[in-house]
Amino acid sequence: MTATSAAALPATTDAAPAARRWAAPLWVGALLIILAFLVIYPLLMLFFGAISDSNPVIDGFGKFNPSLTHFIAVLGNENVRLAFFNALVACGGGTILAVVIGLAFSWIVVRTNTPFKGFIAGASMIPLFVPPLVAGVAWSILGSPKTGLLNTALKWMGIDFRFDFYSMSGLILVFGFYYAPYVYMFTASALRNMDPSLEEASEVSGASAFTTLFTVTFPLIAPAILAGSLLSFVVMLGIYGIPAALGAPANISVLTTYIFKLTAWSPPLYNTAAAVAILLMAVTAIFVWAQQRVLSGRSFATVAGKAFRPRSLNLGPWRWFTFSLAIAYLFIVVVLPTIALVIAAFRRFLFFKDFDAVFDMKAYSWVHFNSIFDNPLTMVSIWNTMKVGLITAVVGGVLAFAIGYTINRTNVAGRKSIDLLSTIPVAIPGLVVGVAYLWAWIGLPGGLYGTIWILALAFVARFIPDTVKSLSTSFMQIHKELEEAAWICGRGLLSTIATIMVPLARPGIIASMTLLFVLAVRELGSSLFLYTSDTTVMAVLLLDYYEGGNVGKTAAFSLVQTVILGVLLGITTWLSRGSAESTARAG
Amino acid sequence: MSAALLIEDLVKKFGTGKAAVDGVSFDVPAGEIVVLLGPSGCGKTTTLRCVAGLEHPTGGRISIGGRVVSEPERGVLVSPRERDIGMVFQSYAVWPHMTVHQNVAYPLKYRRKNTSGSGDIESKVRETLELVGLGEYAQRPVTSLSGGQMQRVALARSLVYRPQLLLLDEPLSNLDSKLRIRLRDELRRILKMTGMTGLYVTHDQSEAVVLGDRIGVMKDGKLLQMAPPGEIYNRPADSFVANFTGASNVLKGKVLERKGEQAIIDLGAAGRIEAWTPQPLVAGDKARVALRAENIRLGERGPANSFTGRVTERRYQGMQTIYDVEFGDQKVEVLELGTAARHNDGEIALTLPPDTCWAYRDDGQATVD
Repeated sequence: MTATSAAALPATTDAAPAARRWAAPLWVGALLIILAFLVIYPLLMLFFGAISDSNPVIDGFGKFNPSLTHFIAVLGNENVRLAFFNALVACGGGTILAVVIGLAFSWIVVRTNTPFKGFIAGASMIPLFVPPLVAGVAWSILGSPKTGLLNTALKWMGIDFRFDFYSMSGLILVFGFYYAPYVYMFTASALRNMDPSLEEASEVSGASAFTTLFTVTFPLIAPAILAGSLLSFVVMLGIYGIPAALGAPANISVLTTYIFKLTAWSPPLYNTAAAVAILLMAVTAIFVWAQQRVLSGRSFATVAGKAFRPRSLNLGPWRWFTFSLAIAYLFIVVVLPTIALVIAAFRRFLFFKDFDAVFDMKAYSWVHFNSIFDNPLTMVSIWNTMKVGLITAVVGGVLAFAIGYTINRTNVAGRKSIDLLSTIPVAIPGLVVGVAYLWAWIGLPGGLYGTIWILALAFVARFIPDTVKSLSTSFMQIHKELEEAAWICGRGLLSTIATIMVPLARPGIIASMTLLFVLAVRELGSSLFLYTSDTTVMAVLLLDYYEGGNVGKTAAFSLVQTVILGVLLGITTWLSRGSAESTARAG
Repeated sequence: MSAALLIEDLVKKFGTGKAAVDGVSFDVPAGEIVVLLGPSGCGKTTTLRCVAGLEHPTGGRISIGGRVVSEPERGVLVSPRERDIGMVFQSYAVWPHMTVHQNVAYPLKYRRKNTSGSGDIESKVRETLELVGLGEYAQRPVTSLSGGQMQRVALARSLVYRPQLLLLDEPLSNLDSKLRIRLRDELRRILKMTGMTGLYVTHDQSEAVVLGDRIGVMKDGKLLQMAPPGEIYNRPADSFVANFTGASNVLKGKVLERKGEQAIIDLGAAGRIEAWTPQPLVAGDKARVALRAENIRLGERGPANSFTGRVTERRYQGMQTIYDVEFGDQKVEVLELGTAARHNDGEIALTLPPDTCWAYRDDGQATVD
């Protein structure tokens, strides 16, 4: 060590402890306050709302008559119980279907020599990106009992059978088809990580391929099946768009649609809505907890051994059968709805006197697009959506980085509480976040309510667990020693973060922020309660068009929204690929 | 008695690349254990998996117990479950969602020629678990067992239905070294007690020597030599076999003359050496002479192949001592057992007994390690 740096040392050691003593608690305190503001305060207000009977708009802020009787009365209400029952049936049925489809898909993709497996694997994830309301709209165009395109086609073919997607079974089918990828994600990776000799041992023992599948393969990935199905159940439970589009015409309410109905009442029943929202949150929390338990349990499939390539079963000619199954699925979830939306958007009237009328080009025009863009709200909503998306991405990204770094890379006191607080929203459906934020801000004059910030903050709160998690993963890939090396070189903590962590984690950061942007753009559940006519967003306006009853405009705007989402997804994929490549070069 | 396993001209190609197994032929008579030995990537595991039916051969014929189970030329391919074989995997492959008992009873339950009743299953499972020393553990979940115990479960599972042929794919390589030695000896005892016919794959020479009635050494998809262990160790047919089984000293020279299996090699400045050779060498051929470090006798002047050299380095290893010795322009390593290092640096007499010097044609190939 040189004399100059030795002489400089005492000065820094004098200054450092004082700063360090205060910096950590201040930092932790600030993060805790931000999280409390984003998560705890709205939840508390929701609880107060649920157990009181005062209206925050009329009675003003802070006037509560807390009493449990109100909450109990709500739970005893027949309509609430019906909505609860419907939700369990629809989501339970949907989950069973999703497990069947997801499991079949993961087996086809991972374990067989079905042609074009890579394409099938990629394309089967598309449903994840389809906004639920768009899916619901498309299937109402296809499967409405009287005018549905499918029924028109059946009539033309002289088949007496008619589809009715405005029904519980319609709800279950659409849920099952669109949320199968959640099951697929878990089971496919479990199958991929499974030691193939476990199955080979069964085959050598004399068991048939079918017996092996049900006595060895599926039992071994049972934890993954369970985790995937619990997750898909939770997601379905919180979905508003699909039951709004398909359940409402048949008067089938689930918890989400019922909550919204309560706030759209005149006068709005905010207290009842809060109470039902808490019921929804409680159910969600139980399932999320169960899923986390399953995931943290020991996984059967990871068995020590040499690296292996996954087994691939030679199906012979049957591989074309599995291929056609996969294509049929893609046709049902992607192609058919797209066709329906395109036809409905470009046709003046969605009425066909016979099937040939489908190809009558005179009936097609841009009239619906012209009319939605004549509506000033359309451009306002698109502009608002972009603004909200951007704010959510930036605020959420920065906050998630701060939280992720604090939890994973430091050992400051209080990081456990930060971890806990930032995980809570996992168990809160978007719609409940909306109701909670409504309760938190509607009574405060001059507050956030009515601005686009309330939407953005609600989105940040809603998506913070996922963002922190995905950022933590990229932090974990950066070895602690890389940072320590920078400290040894004399860098401070902040400068190390700026020069080491941020550049190395950049692909992860970009990916997380763009994901936040996309999630914010398509979010409907929480927006429903927080928008005003000035701050309307695309998802809400689409719902307006749908409830207005004009199928053409709804379909046209669905297409607009889908195209915008598609372009955004394209850009983000391209962005994160570019950054991934640059790190690959650097590392 | 017909061979329990007969492999004729087996070929297996993955994709369009080089053949992983390239014309391998051998047989395993009933009750015998044959070990396939070779470095990783030599095709031994692929051969085994072809016998099991887990890989589909590209050519050749495999017969088990006189029945052809695979012959691609005639379109014959019997599925693994109909081959009446047992298999022990490197990763044990015991099913973690079942108990020890359920694992072992599984084949009895699901085999097609299921003639045994449930009481029979019970007694067979118990008997087999006793045999592998796990009688006490029947009701335990397998995940609570140690690696060695899991491998015993795997062994019991493959023995319980008395298959015609037992296949073992590096069953000991996931165990730590002490356990490996114990289980190796026990494996031989169990296999011999049951009279099982076995095909065993390993890269570990000591396992091969202890377990095999015969050892087949493989390299690059070819079977180089198939012989009893003593012959592999004392009469290696090929310089690769000699080197792989531990003849690490190589002396390069030229053939002066050959009489039957005896050859005289000119080692240049070091002089000439008498050696055994399995190959038809001719005078003038380039040759390499392989010999094991422990077969060289230091400080002795024998009747033949006696030289004077210099100890340049001495490495004491406790149980043994290794000397680097130079003679002429040749260098050899000599290993002497014993806890005392008997020789010092400097000039020394050494004898390379002709019987332990093996001459092969020098085809310019590098040796392993």
